[in-house]
Amino acid sequence: MRHMTTRQLTLCAVLTALALALSYLENLIPLSLLVPLPGVKLGLANIVTVFALYALGPGQALLILIARCLLGAMFAGNLNALLFSLLGGLSAMLVMILLSRSRHLSVYGVSMGGAAAHNCGQVAAAVITLGTAAPAAYLPVLLWISLLTGALTGFVASLLFRAISHTNLMKA
Amino acid sequence: MKSSVKLSFCRWDILVIAVIAVSAAVIGWALLTRAAASGDGLTAVITQNGTVLESVDLSSIPEGESQEYTVNGDYTAVVELENSRVCIESSDCPNQDCVHTGWISKAGQSVVCLPNRLVVELTGTSGSDSGVDVVIG
Repeated sequence: MRHMTTRQLTLCAVLTALALALSYLENLIPLSLLVPLPGVKLGLANIVTVFALYALGPGQALLILIARCLLGAMFAGNLNALLFSLLGGLSAMLVMILLSRSRHLSVYGVSMGGAAAHNCGQVAAAVITLGTAAPAAYLPVLLWISLLTGALTGFVASLLFRAISHTNLMKA
Repeated sequence: MKSSVKLSFCRWDILVIAVIAVSAAVIGWALLTRAAASGDGLTAVITQNGTVLESVDLSSIPEGESQEYTVNGDYTAVVELENSRVCIESSDCPNQDCVHTGWISKAGQSVVCLPNRLVVELTGTSGSDSGVDVVIG
């Protein structure tokens, strides 16, 4: 962390850009028409967090996450969205750091845990913003959905790791 | 990379699924029992920015009739109230999630409009119906 190589810095920058592009892309997927709940998302940017966690370690994964949240809120011109993405992202990050320390869990388990934590963080942000506990009523549905979205991001991450296994990217 | 990443779904992942599923079920159950225990008669509570704007006893509305309540904030939303159900009829917020949520008719349910910081929540019991058929967790 203290001494970041040019290679690591570049990889962090590329991954931040990728995460931003993915969060923008998922806004174009009208998942909320299928499940009409505020805050239902595929969590595509989580793929980047999972990748960064394994390839670069927790410190740089956290840097990428914070940069993504700040830049995302700036581009959207929405400070309110910052609270949602930061609380969701940081909760997911924390849970995934802890889960990835277990040698037993695969990327699937780690990203499903992350997706569930992300939804809990977002509901907490909604409770803070709205000033009532009412959004907690969405938590059971959101947790079920996080199993599906978490499995999806886990699947994409596993494809990604397989695809780059012949390169030395993972030793950055 | 420090250790090899496990790329295939394994038995231990089921533990993560189980923990999430059980938490969802427990939270759902807790919310339902809490909602069912609170008083009698269905009441619609309209809250914006954490302040209760209006609280309407739905049984006071005659069957077959409806009332409208307009909320002015960052966006304008029209809440439609009927004898046993309530919805956000229209809203000029950008994503329209609140309108798509549709009618709610059981205690503990709510319609949320995040951009408008608006919550329409139903409290009290829904008559003879215990609401168990809405267990989603």
